[in-house]
Amino acid sequence: MPIIVNLDVMMAKRKISAGELAERIDITPANLSILKNNRARAVRFTTLEAICEVLDCQPGDILEFVREEK
Amino acid sequence: MKFKWTAEKSLFLTFALTAAMLLMTVCGLFAVPAVSRWYSALSGRGPAGTVLGICLYLSLLDGIAALCILLKLLANIAKQKMFVEENARCLRLVSWCCFFLAAIWLFLGWFRFIARCVGIIAAFAGLVVRVMLNLLETAIAMREEQDYTI
Repeated sequence: MPIIVNLDVMMAKRKISAGELAERIDITPANLSILKNNRARAVRFTTLEAICEVLDCQPGDILEFVREEK
Repeated sequence: MKFKWTAEKSLFLTFALTAAMLLMTVCGLFAVPAVSRWYSALSGRGPAGTVLGICLYLSLLDGIAALCILLKLLANIAKQKMFVEENARCLRLVSWCCFFLAAIWLFLGWFRFIARCVGIIAAFAGLVVRVMLNLLETAIAMREEQDYTI
């Protein structure tokens, strides 16, 4: 998938653990793991908003588009 | 007291009908020699009875396989395992069983026209099951998409 989730980078910058982030954005640790490991197919705006709120960042800091080589 | 029809009762009825059909199909295996002999006597000399016997055995075995797969599918539904790859595989196998049955009876249709009708009905059933399979596969993909939406 050409969209890369850089959540772990931002989490490291903000020094926040996965468990704490999951709790604060109100999703399960399992779902956060799916998101962190680039296995998610889609992200709800509400989830993105909560992540940006908690990590104090922009969506572009978390999501990155990388063109796939054909 | 008012009788209420529920999904559980419907599932139980389907399960009971499938089990009864399986039982009848297994019993049908024992009737094949008698049917072949009767058909041989009816059609006079020639291998017609033997050909019919072989085709009946193949059809019944195919039917038993399809019914066992349907029972497995129903057991999965009872366990709330609906949109899983295993069910799609079951439906695919059932559709192939229908097409195999159609092939047997279309072959017999060379000799007797009425057998061709059975073959066409079996092929149509296989086609219907295949459409259901495509539907299920789409539902599985949608479910997966939903599961991986965070």
